[in-house]
Amino acid sequence: MKREITVTINDEVHTATVEHRYLLVDFIREVAGATGTHVGCGFEGRCGTCTVVVDGQAVKSCLMLAVQADGAKLLTIEGLARGDEMHPLQAAFRDLHGLQCGFCTPGFLLTLYDFLKDPIDSEDAIRQAMSGVLCRCTGYVHIVAAVRQAIAVLAAMTPAERARWFPL
Amino acid sequence: MNARKPWVGQSIKRKEDHRLLIGQGQYVADLTLPRMAVVGFVRSPHAHARIVRIDADAARALPGVLAVVTGQDTAHLDAILSDLSVPKLPGETKRPIFGPLPIDEVKYVGDLVAAVIAKDRYVLEDAIDLVAVEYAPLPVVVDAEAALAAGAPLLYPEWGDNVVYHQHLQHGDTEAAFAAAAVIVKERFKGHRCGASPMEPRACLARYDVAEGLTVWLTTQRSHIKRHLLGAYFKIPDSKIRVIAPKDVGGGFGVKAPLYREEILICHLAMKVGRPIKWIETRQENLLNIGQERDQIHELELAVAADGTILGLRDRMIANCGDARIPIYVSFAMPWLGMMYLPNGYVIPNVDIDLTCVVTNKAGLTPSRSFGSFTGRFAIDRIVDIAAFRLGIDPLVMREKNCIKTFPYVTATGLNVDSGDFVGALKKLKAAIDYDAFRAEQQAARANGRYLGLGLSLGIEFSGLSSQILVPMERQPGFGVATIRFDANGQVQVAHGDQPQGQGHDTTLSQVVADELGITPDDIYVISGDTQAAPFAAGTLASRMGGYTISAAVMAARGLKPKLIAIARHLLQLTVDDSAFEFSAGAVRLIASPERHISLQRIAETALLAPTELPPGMEGGLDHTAHFEADTTGMHSCNVHAVTVEVFPDSGRFKILRYVAVDDAGRPINPTIVRGQLHGGIALGISNACLEEFVYTAEGDQLTRSLQEYLIASARDLPHIETHEHNVPTPHNPLGSKGKGEGPTGMVPGALGNALADALAPFGVRITEMPFTPERLWRLIEAARSVTAAANHDSALTRGAN
Repeated sequence: MKREITVTINDEVHTATVEHRYLLVDFIREVAGATGTHVGCGFEGRCGTCTVVVDGQAVKSCLMLAVQADGAKLLTIEGLARGDEMHPLQAAFRDLHGLQCGFCTPGFLLTLYDFLKDPIDSEDAIRQAMSGVLCRCTGYVHIVAAVRQAIAVLAAMTPAERARWFPL
Repeated sequence: MNARKPWVGQSIKRKEDHRLLIGQGQYVADLTLPRMAVVGFVRSPHAHARIVRIDADAARALPGVLAVVTGQDTAHLDAILSDLSVPKLPGETKRPIFGPLPIDEVKYVGDLVAAVIAKDRYVLEDAIDLVAVEYAPLPVVVDAEAALAAGAPLLYPEWGDNVVYHQHLQHGDTEAAFAAAAVIVKERFKGHRCGASPMEPRACLARYDVAEGLTVWLTTQRSHIKRHLLGAYFKIPDSKIRVIAPKDVGGGFGVKAPLYREEILICHLAMKVGRPIKWIETRQENLLNIGQERDQIHELELAVAADGTILGLRDRMIANCGDARIPIYVSFAMPWLGMMYLPNGYVIPNVDIDLTCVVTNKAGLTPSRSFGSFTGRFAIDRIVDIAAFRLGIDPLVMREKNCIKTFPYVTATGLNVDSGDFVGALKKLKAAIDYDAFRAEQQAARANGRYLGLGLSLGIEFSGLSSQILVPMERQPGFGVATIRFDANGQVQVAHGDQPQGQGHDTTLSQVVADELGITPDDIYVISGDTQAAPFAAGTLASRMGGYTISAAVMAARGLKPKLIAIARHLLQLTVDDSAFEFSAGAVRLIASPERHISLQRIAETALLAPTELPPGMEGGLDHTAHFEADTTGMHSCNVHAVTVEVFPDSGRFKILRYVAVDDAGRPINPTIVRGQLHGGIALGISNACLEEFVYTAEGDQLTRSLQEYLIASARDLPHIETHEHNVPTPHNPLGSKGKGEGPTGMVPGALGNALADALAPFGVRITEMPFTPERLWRLIEAARSVTAAANHDSALTRGAN
């Protein structure tokens, strides 16, 4: 069974005919060619590296069919920066060594993008917020520090400036 | 002019991060080639069975399926293990004989049965399901000690037993040491099967064409070694094979160091099918087949004098090696090195260790960060505490007394420990963890029915392995290698042999070379991983970068300096000595009058584009390669960790209150990157020790096939990790730098096990097995409670077996 669907990924419209069983993560990687989103587990939703933002919500894209995203707007790691200017979260990861091999990084960025819209600035809350994504390299210590920096940077912005970093 | 702060020692931001943060990393899974097909595998649901029949007709008939390949189809291929891929260690070694696919027998759940090639992954998965295999189950042996018993089922009947490797290592006079001991402590320790599964599973893309030969994009830590082994296997010259580890590999931790059967098979299939073939390992395949290590039993005895001085050690060590069909390591290289590291940072003059490596119907062992020593480190740090408890000596004092104090020190197992300062590190640790205050708090808490504990561990961490160790262990060189090559525009290329999987090698190498040549890290770019571009080396393993490859880069830069100076001198029309020049701000300059200088850009341009302007007789070109081998058999760092816990005896749950590491990086190149290595290594150790376990049933079924069952710690499961530097530069390389990565993980189980034992001392609970699950702790507490139920509560509080 196949169906034509249209998905907007980082402001680019992609229309394709896909099998109903085709996973959203495969649509993102194979149809849209946005390979910054990764697959690290057996499509069981545990590793979290495939997390993207679908219509404003962080979603594990291996747990969603592409046809379910018909008409949706997606944000992936490729869409976080504004031109050469990194998202405050990306900048914080770079400033504070929040990544090593980079494989899980898209999952953290997009999960935390959602969290940062209405963040709680405590170590426990941050750890809880990102517990759906697994990292094998960092021990999470520098990621926590990066989130705290991003919270502070965003808090210092005007609401309009801040809104610019949260298009979805 | 020369007052600029060195780049080495600064926590500059990583050069790798920009591309990774904007989604432009490039992993094997991201590569696509024209006419590319995908491959996947039919795998055994049985732990041990005869393959009676494979019916692949339905699979072959499925549209989009290109081929189904079984063991019969590859029976003509050579046996995989050769003299090149089997360790040559002292002791008795046996070798499993096997090809890329089994012909008639599977030996563990997840074992290869057949390969399916299809046009896309969805069709591939359908086709794999359509391959019908009839099995006749055979007797299974899962437990290592059961596999040693007479009459046990044999994995390789031609051996006559299940022992793949045995060594009896003796040093000193252990008999006399035990005869002289005031206390002999004996305990049986068990390490469970767990390891380092990286977030990126294995991936391999192979393409064959007559002009280039075989090109293989691979998630590997060691391109050159794999090229050489593939060449030897297929009898193709190395020149017709190119192995490329892409710039981005999603974690390795040792797991991506072996050459795997699948990789050999995929290369064969690419040549046979005449299409590029890509394999992306599924997480289930990953958890069934690789990343499994640490599966050891230690029957350990320690002889101790009345004052706490350790006199000798005996160990009967058994490693469960699974099927052992893993080239390069054959599953026993890890336990062997674990045995070598058993005395660790303690002065133990007399040792008698018997190591038996046993094959069973489990997956073979693959190297995992802490390489073979995770369980042994747990055992030694635990037994030191048990001995201290017996003698009424504080565990910190016990360590101060028995740690290595004079350097260099050669362990009874023959390892050279070149430099470090355990005594100073322990002092720093004591202050950092606020030892005395914690003891007071612990006493007060106990009075209130709360169980707090503190545990320590102490260990050496290798900083690369010298050729003296690596050649017999893996027939590979220990040297680090780097080539420095100027571009005509004055930019500097550093090509080296240790491709990264997230360690930040591009950044640290750039910092080192920038200092040597008086330039900035941005003037440098780094190349590795591609056998056509990077110099030959053993690859990324054993924390080699900080000790060996960094040093090779320094030596390569220094090797190039005389030529750079000679060109500058010529262009400046001077006749002064080399020592009159310095490298700073992108130029070679006269120290006495820095305004007289020639930029490196002009020197490079001259050497590469205008050799007529070089000093008479000088060769054109501007590059230099250095191989660095330390003038010692072992560079090590000396590290100490402490952890405090609170255990809740009614549930067996516990909370890590603080984790503190005092670490020796020699001279850290980039302190933040070093800290990142410590955090990740310690997190892996905690995750291994508390959560992760590859569970096999008595019938050999494997129950932990997804990350829902094989539990990798999330941020919520882990504490904040505190690190403190206590650096002692090694005298054996140019910067004094030491490698980081392998070591922190193995420090965890001893510290944590000691903390739990300390917390539960009032119950007299013995902590000798991992993982430290609430259930295990609860059972131990309950068992102890039932024993002490009849006893007087007060005396129970003061007894304790620790």
